[in-house]
Order: sequence, then structure tokens, then C-alpha cells
Amino acid sequence: MRSGKSEVGFDAFEDMRQAVIRLELLRYLTLAIFLALGVRLWWLQVVNHEVYAERAEQNRIRELLIPARRGTIYDRNGKILVDSRPSYNIIVSRKDVKNFDELKELLVENLCDCASEDKAEEQQKKAEYRENLTKRLEAARFEPNYEAIVVKEQASPADVAWVMAHEYEYPELRAEEVPQRYYPHKNFAAHVLGYVGEVSRAELEKGRFSKENGYKLGDIIGKSGVERTYNEILMGRDGMRRVIVDSRGRIQAEIDRIDPIPGRNLYLTLDYEIQKVAEEQADLFLEGRGVIAVMDPNNGEMLAMVSRPDFDPNVFSQRLKEEIEALSADEEKPLFNRAIQGIYPTGSTWKIFMAVAALNEQVITVKESRLQDGGLQIGNYFMSSLSNLGRPDIHLAIVKSADGYFYRLGLKMGIERIEKWTQIFRLGQPTGIDLPNEAAGVPPSREWKAKVNPKDPKWRDYDTAAASIGQGIAITPLQVLRTVAGVAMGGQMVTPHFLLKAEAGIDRQGNWHDEIRYIDEKRFTVPMSREVHETVSKAMWGVVNENGTGGGARVEGFDVSGKTGTAQVASKERAGSKNKDHAWFVSYAPRAKPEIASVVLVENVGFGGTHAAPRAKAIYEAYYRRTRNLPMGTEVQVAKK
Amino acid sequence: MAAFNHRYIADFDWVLLALALMVGALGALEISSVQPAPGLWQRHLIWLGVGTGILFLTTLIEYHKFVNAAPVLYLLGLTLLVLVLLIGKEVKGNKSWLGWGSYGGQPSEIAKVFTILLLTHFLSRVRKRPLDLRTTLMAGIMWAIPVGLVFLENDTGSVLSYTSFLLAMLFLAGLRWSWIAAGLAAVIVLVATLIWQWDKIPDGYKKQRILAVYAPEKAAKRFTYQNDQAEIAVGSGGLLGKGIHSGTQGALGFVPEVHTDFIFAVASEELGFVGSIFALTLYLLIITRLIVIARTARDRAGLLLVTGYASLLLYHVAVSVGMVLRLLPIMGIPLPLMSFGGSSVLTTFFALGLAINVRLHRFVN
Repeated sequence: MRSGKSEVGFDAFEDMRQAVIRLELLRYLTLAIFLALGVRLWWLQVVNHEVYAERAEQNRIRELLIPARRGTIYDRNGKILVDSRPSYNIIVSRKDVKNFDELKELLVENLCDCASEDKAEEQQKKAEYRENLTKRLEAARFEPNYEAIVVKEQASPADVAWVMAHEYEYPELRAEEVPQRYYPHKNFAAHVLGYVGEVSRAELEKGRFSKENGYKLGDIIGKSGVERTYNEILMGRDGMRRVIVDSRGRIQAEIDRIDPIPGRNLYLTLDYEIQKVAEEQADLFLEGRGVIAVMDPNNGEMLAMVSRPDFDPNVFSQRLKEEIEALSADEEKPLFNRAIQGIYPTGSTWKIFMAVAALNEQVITVKESRLQDGGLQIGNYFMSSLSNLGRPDIHLAIVKSADGYFYRLGLKMGIERIEKWTQIFRLGQPTGIDLPNEAAGVPPSREWKAKVNPKDPKWRDYDTAAASIGQGIAITPLQVLRTVAGVAMGGQMVTPHFLLKAEAGIDRQGNWHDEIRYIDEKRFTVPMSREVHETVSKAMWGVVNENGTGGGARVEGFDVSGKTGTAQVASKERAGSKNKDHAWFVSYAPRAKPEIASVVLVENVGFGGTHAAPRAKAIYEAYYRRTRNLPMGTEVQVAKK
Repeated sequence: MAAFNHRYIADFDWVLLALALMVGALGALEISSVQPAPGLWQRHLIWLGVGTGILFLTTLIEYHKFVNAAPVLYLLGLTLLVLVLLIGKEVKGNKSWLGWGSYGGQPSEIAKVFTILLLTHFLSRVRKRPLDLRTTLMAGIMWAIPVGLVFLENDTGSVLSYTSFLLAMLFLAGLRWSWIAAGLAAVIVLVATLIWQWDKIPDGYKKQRILAVYAPEKAAKRFTYQNDQAEIAVGSGGLLGKGIHSGTQGALGFVPEVHTDFIFAVASEELGFVGSIFALTLYLLIITRLIVIARTARDRAGLLLVTGYASLLLYHVAVSVGMVLRLLPIMGIPLPLMSFGGSSVLTTFFALGLAINVRLHRFVN
């Protein structure tokens, strides 16, 4: 270029001119680009600033749940029955997950309790956990506000350590401490206490546990027992922390905090000592199935309730999937509270009801109550009777449980009056106990027979005769207890209940509540003259104390009074041991001024006097010794098989 | 040769150096704000210091010596790129780091300037006007070799940056207008075809990154995340910004690669619209100043050299800021002088030194 030598097609001046033009174009291009960037900045930072400012806020602020502690449940003397203890969940912050499939594999590899000698089994368990995770991740997808997904409950210390050690690698994972329901006495009073579990999607839709009522996915609610009945008292309201987090979800600072409202504590009427004896006695049930319920007949306070077979509620709090499935699948129905959900023929315990009804209706009188005993031919049917006492009076008929006497008494009274009296006693209705899912049962009624037996809908004499001795009836053991306790109290019918008191405190809505005590609004009176009461209670005393069928329940000095029952199992198809009769014993003590009443039902073992009465004796004995300050230590009579 | 005499001091482009150092200081400030690791902003300041030294050294050697040495430097650059491919370390998906432990750098940065020098060397000697096909093809080959290598490194951003200065230099060297028109038409047809046949393009991260900007609802969430966060950072900055050391998007780690490729997002968040425009103005002044230097260059070599670098700088700023502002897909491109990284800073100062060199020798002796 230094040379001025001219070449073909090259003009230095023109070249320079071109270059200046082209540089100028380049400058315009530069200006255009910068203008575009400037306009975009204006658009983002000035025009739409508000939108982004809010998104930035949301970005860095997380709301973390502080789970509220569920109230403790005590027995009437302050002994802890249910408590909460810390446990860890491994949770995933969904916002921070980049790839769900990778996450799933990571979790399966590291958090699955799948290790096994058997490789095939290990693979199987891993596949199950993977599927479980898929379900959870899918479910959370439809919950916009629910950021954290629990991927493992009951995390072991090793799991928690693993998550913490990989905080930087997998910032989306976090170990979260959650209070877990703990039942220190395991199966003890399981059906009364109930168990807890996560609120279901259906429950959230509508009703008591709906979103409208402030429940949310992941909430732990009572699923049965008093845990469910008094859920609103026991359950607190979760608190919340608003924290500033970095992009990995690590907390940098706390900016706001709403403390959780802990649930209120509950005191039950249940008496740990009596329940313990009842549990021990239930251990002696030959077939492992049956009920013991103990009540204070003066006020309906339930002192004990055992239903067998039973379960360990911890299985539900710990979400042990296999154990839960096994419980649900068990044909013996361990989750079923037989005391309030089981309906049984009452057997001869029904005779107390019959006696009260007949005396009140003056079918017989206190002075003239003699009727023929022994088997009875009704049309083609022969109603057999184990007893044949000639013409006993009502006292002897009850003491010896004379079926023949009661056939005739029933026939004399007629089904109308029997039905009338079942209504007066409110049989075939739930007692109103404060436990969920109480069954109503079916007392003898013409309407009912017509309904279940369309081939022979007419009520016949032999139906009346059978109903008079407690067959063809199906009511709950608790109804039997309540009826007899009411008779013991001269017709004063109380509502059985477990709530003694709920401690004062703040509820889920933030309102203050003073201490709550149970108020029996459903108590009622069965009309019963003093004479009738006297006659029947004296007979029940005789059952135990005058060589009657309930002698096995006799406690020296405590005047136990009761009635045995041996209920035939109606269904013919029941095989094997289930063909045997149910043993009943319903009783109270002491006769003059009742303090305690109980019902014992042992399924498929035989005579009530042999199998049920001794169970009650042990309870009365323990109670008697404790309340009278007598030394403990009487040997418990073991039933003979 | 110009020594530190009166003439040198008078002719030296102090404004350009001052602009560069202001941008660098802004970078150090923002790096200190996000602090992804301790000591980074101090290191950035050290690089600025070292870079300034290199800039002065570069001005001491007459630029034609660099242009004449271009074939050797070019080969050196290619060798480094090959070494990167063979023994380089992979950093965030790009195999572009060469070195031992923490000592080392990204050769693709300096290789760009060496390629500019070679193109200058070649094109400044071509006297045919307009450029003939053979010359254009030769320039294309010089471009294609390093581009092939960085392409193998999986560095799309660098591939396009090589293209930016090739086109600018061919343009200045006198490419036929009709060819330019044809080239533009071809690009339009290509883009149109790509849009038309979009669904048939096999899915991959590049496709996803494009979707993340132009059709975010169709992109996978993990690809939109970076765009989203950068956009939020910029937008939440507002008119005046959140204040230095008060940003959250950068400091809390929502914005990725916050001290390198996405440094502008943090600057925008903390300094706001006013600060962002200030930073862009500094860049605009640097680039227009380079264009002025190119125009006043003594010869074609000076013109092409400075134009080549000006277009490279323009490309880097446009793409780096454009991707932060969600105008362009994300490409791993540093914002010169603001982004943390020795290779980029030193290369920039070296190239600015060459430009000042051209300015110092603008008058024929």
C-alpha cells in the first residue's frame, strides 16, 4: 500500500471511500443492536418491573411448615396413653427438582430399605418403592400450593445422615422433623384410642375434614377411636416459617414465623389399672375373640374397653405398609371394635330386660310371678329348655336362667310389648358413646323379620319365644352393658363416654376454650318402680351369690350382681370353633349402691358362667381391693378349655 | 518506535483504556456482590491490572509486526485448540479449558484474536476489488479450521463469534454487495426453513435452548429455568436497582453462572435500568471508538484488524447481554471485562492494545 503502484481493479481512493461507508454501516448496526438491548431493558426493568419484582420475592421466600404437636391423651389419673415423639421425614422440594426420573432412581438407590440377601427380593422391593414414589410425585402434581413431597417417612438416622451429607449435591432433598403419634403401651386400649393417618383425598373433598374446614393434604388426623372423635381438640394448627432461601433451598434467614398451635390434651375416663386387668383377662379368651367393657353406671364414664383381636396403633403412625395391609386383610377383623361395632345375639342376658318389661307391664307381678318352666311345643317347633324348675318365680328363673319360664313369659307379654320396651330402653340405637362408627343393632321386631325373611315374613309365636331368651336379636355388647347398668341404677340410663376433660387452650381457629368436660345430654330414664328394681337386682345378686349361673364372678364382700348368657351362634355355615356359643356375663357391683358395671363377651367358647363370669370377677376384685385399700394378689382363675 | 515519549503519551488512547477499566471495575463490583467463591473479585482486579500491563506492552511493538507474525500466532492458536481437544478439561459441557490444576485458560479466546490477525494479514494484501471467490474461500478456510476445532469442543457461542468477525472483515475488505445480498437472502431462507421444518429437527439441548427463549411454554422446565431466573433478576432490578450487594437473584444463586456468563443479570438487578444503560453505554463508546480508530487507520491492515476486533466485541456484548435479556438463546459467552475469567480479560486487553497501537501509528511517518 505504501507503493502507489496501481493494479487492475484496485483504486486506493475508492477503496478508502468504500471502507468509510462500510464502517459507517457497521456503526449503525452497532447502534441498532444497542438500541434493541436498551429497549428490552426498558421493557423488563421499567414497564414490567412489578411483575418481576414479585416473582423475585416468591423466588426467595419459602413457606416452611412447622407441624403442630397433637395433644397428649391421658387416662383419668393422668397416666400417659398416647403421646407424640419426634421422627424424620425425607421431603423433596418440588420446585428445585430438575428431573423427576433421575430423582426417583437416586431415591430408590439410597433411601429404599430394600437391602436383602435375596437379589430377586431386593429388586422386587425396589420396584415397589419406585412405584410408590411415582404415585406420590404424581399426586403432588395436582396440588399447586403443596411444594414439599414426602418421599420417605420414618427415616432412619442413616437416611437423615445421607441427606444431610449430600446437601450440596442434592439440594432438593431435606430431612424434616415431624412429631409422630406414639402409643407407648402398644395394643393397650387400641380400639378406644384409635389411630391416626393422613387425611384422604376423599375426606378433603367434603365433610368434616374438608379443605373448607382448614385441612390440607398431608395433615395427620384421627382415623378411629377417640383420636377421631376428638380430632378437633387433639389436633393443633400447623405453624409456618417464612424464610429466605437460596436457589438450593438452603435457609439464609427467617423473616416471619407463625408458631404452631399445639393440640389440646385430653383426659379420658379410662382407668389404666382397670384397663390393664381387662387386657390381662382378655388374654385368656380361648379363641382370642371377645369384648370386655367396664363403666361407672352412675355417670356413664367408661373405665375400660377391650376388643379382641386387637392391633398396635403405632403401625399406622409409622406407616408400616405391610403390617397395615395385614391388619386390613385379617379375617378376624382386628381393627373392628367389637364392643361398639359388633352385633351379637344377647343370649340370656336378655332376660333382665324381659323381667323389667314384664314386671312393668304387669304381665307378672312382684308378688305373683310364677310360670311354668321346661320345654315348650309351639306348633311344629319344640323349644327346648335346659332347666325344668316346675313353676319358679321370677327370682329363681333369673338365678337359674330358666329358658322355659321366659318362653312363656314372652308369649304372655307378646311381641308388641317387647317391641315397646326395646324402644323404651332405646335398644337397636347407638348408645351415643364418643367413639366413631357405633353400630345400632337390631332388637326383635316384626318389621325387621319381614324385611330379612321375605319367605316367612309373618311374626310367629316361636319368634316371640326365641326373642324372650335373647335369640334372633343382634345388639352391641355396649348396649347390653348400658341396659343392665341402667337397671342396676333403677332405670337411670346414662350415656357411655370416654371423655373426662379436655384441657383449656386455643383451638384450630384460634379461639380460646376453657376446660371442656363431658356433659351427658342424652341420659334418660326407664320407668321402674322401686319394687321392680329391687326384685330384678336381687335376682341378679342371686345369679352370682346363690348358686346361680354366675357364681364364677363372686367377690367376697363386694356383692357382685349380674346375668350370664350363652348365645347360640345363628349362622349354620360357620365352621369349626366358630360354631360354639358366645359366652356372656353382664354385671355390676355392689348391688346396693353400684359403682362399677361391666360386660364380658367371649366369642365361640361356650357357657357364659364358665368363660365370661370369671373375667368379670378379676376386674371387680382388682377394683374392690384398690378402692378399699386391700392388698392385691389374688390368683386369677384360668378358664379351662 | 514509539517509546514513552511525549508523543506516545499524547496519542495514546487514554479514554479507551479508561472506558475499559471502568467496565472492568463494574465487573469486579458485581463479582464481589455475588461472591460465588471467596477472593474472586480481587482476582478479577488482578487480571485487570495484568491486562493493563499487557495492553501497554502490546502498544510498544508496532502492529505490523503482529500482523506479520500472524501465521505463526495462528498456528500457535490452532495448536492450543488441538491440545484442548486432546487433554482439555470439560467445564459445564464445553471442553474448552486447558491447563494444570487451577492454572490455565481457555485458548479459544486468544485464538480468536490470532485468527483476526491472520485474516488481517491475508486480506490486507489482496488488492482485487471487489473480492473474488478465491480470496473469499481462502478466508473461509482460515476461519473454518479454528471453528471446526471449537465446534468439536461443543462451543457454539465461539463458532458464531468467529463468524462475526469473518463477515465483518470480508465486508470491510470489499465483498461484493450482490454477494452480501445473496448471503442475507440465504440466511433468511435458512432461518425460514428451520422454522418451517422445526418439528423435524431432532430434539437436543440446542433446540431446547432456542425454544426456551422464543417458545418457553414448549421447552423443558430445566431449560427455561436459567432464562427465567435471569429475566427475573433484570426485571426485578427496576429503574434504580436494588443496590450494590442487595440483589437476591444473583447472591442467592438463582441466576446460574452468575460471575461469568450471566454477570450482566446481576448488574442489572443491583444497578437497575440506569446502571444497565450506563454499562451498555460504556461498551457502546468502546465499540464506536474502535470504529473511529479503524477509520483513521494508516492502512488496510490497521483498518481490518480493528474492525475485526470491534465486531468480535460487538458480538460478545450483544450475545452475552442478549441472552441475559432473553432476546437470544443461552450460549456460553463471557461479557468482556465484566465476566470473571483471566483468558477473556487478558485477550480483551491484548486486542485493545492492538487497537491503540493502530491509533498510535495512524500517521504515516
